Amino acid sequence: MPANSGSRSRLPFRLGLTAGALATGALFAMVFAPTFGRKSESEDINIFFHGFQDSRGVTVLSPTVDLTKDFTDRTSLKAKFGVDAISASSDSCARCHPDGIRSARAVASATLNRKYGDTTVGIGGEFSQENFYRATTLSTSVSRNLNKGNTTIAGGYAFSLNQPVLHPSEFTERQYAHDAYASVTQTLTKTTVVQVGVEVAQIRGYQTSPFLRAALNGVLVPGNSPDLRNRYTFSARIKQALPASTYLDIDYRRYHDSWQLDSNSFGIGLSRHFGDTIVASGAVRLYDQTGAYFYAPSYTGSPLYYTGDFRLFPFNSDLVTGRVVYTPKDGLFGMRPGSALTLQYERYWTTRSFDAAIFTGGITIPFGRKAP
Amino acid sequence: MPSSDRANPSRRAVFAVCLLAAVSGACASVQPWQRARLADPCMTFEANAALTAYASHWQESREGSSGGAGVQGGGCACK
Repeated sequence: MPANSGSRSRLPFRLGLTAGALATGALFAMVFAPTFGRKSESEDINIFFHGFQDSRGVTVLSPTVDLTKDFTDRTSLKAKFGVDAISASSDSCARCHPDGIRSARAVASATLNRKYGDTTVGIGGEFSQENFYRATTLSTSVSRNLNKGNTTIAGGYAFSLNQPVLHPSEFTERQYAHDAYASVTQTLTKTTVVQVGVEVAQIRGYQTSPFLRAALNGVLVPGNSPDLRNRYTFSARIKQALPASTYLDIDYRRYHDSWQLDSNSFGIGLSRHFGDTIVASGAVRLYDQTGAYFYAPSYTGSPLYYTGDFRLFPFNSDLVTGRVVYTPKDGLFGMRPGSALTLQYERYWTTRSFDAAIFTGGITIPFGRKAP
Repeated sequence: MPSSDRANPSRRAVFAVCLLAAVSGACASVQPWQRARLADPCMTFEANAALTAYASHWQESREGSSGGAGVQGGGCACK
């Protein structure tokens, strides 16, 4: 694949971007962790590094830093900064850039939560910028504990303004997304918790990928998708504590949208404690989706809508995940007790001859007076 | 084009959530001293939020569906 050679040639760029993001995270940790001394039950900083490599030769390196900080007993802040450094942005880019093309995405978000008795209200925002795409999101959320903490109801709303650039032209399109969700989490027994939720989203505006080409009358051309898409998601999860410090996690998601794309996602996982310091987990996810109603392998004549977007094709996929979390009693690498090392490996296959390997490594550092 | 029949599953889902919310107060109440195993991080849905967010991000860049994990920001890095 042409993208491979290009990806190797840009290693200094990727390492530079990654090193910069990791340095930012480390600086974040060094500067803030020692000074956050107020009482807290969940203040921590997560510094993770994700590596994604797929069968097209595309590599995405994504360092992220997440911070949770309590300012008072009732007010907390969650902040996130992340980068995607992309070695070669898919077959569509390789068509015009046979030696590969570097791409990057930076994302920053912050959410402020405040408690009012058993109710928590949150407000937040996120901004992401990549070479030819900008997204700005504002969100609100509310949750309330009921029934002596055995029931939690939650809801939220977000508005996003997405601005793709129709590369290679300089013209920018606009897309408006409204997204609302509601969920109920219920403790059923001393060992069982369930959660069900619904999410409804409406996306208006330009929704065609300018980079993915459809075969129309034998010629590869940019697609043309409808300007309105309504999306509906139902999800259900159950967590069951089993004997021998083992925990079962089952989840199901049903999705339907107004482009007639339907999908089912089923996941099952097990986690087990090994002593006081290690938690090992394994999970499997099975996924299937139908194609959008205007999907076809190729088009003839003058169809109103046509697409070359692989996300609108019918396919199945499997995902296998293995994870180990190591939390030494005396702290990790001299850090304070409660600090943990996470290592995760995932393997993803689809029926469209696409597969990927995803590696994640990271550390969690608690801080604050009540940190363990 | 979407038909009302295809939207019915989502209406049923909304109804199911409302019904669960309405009847959840009648569920057995687990007392604080009975919550030892429930307090384990493995029993928390948001225990691995950073990993979940990343998984949602790359899966949405490969698959046509999304949602089910709360509202999230945009941007895909998926060209």
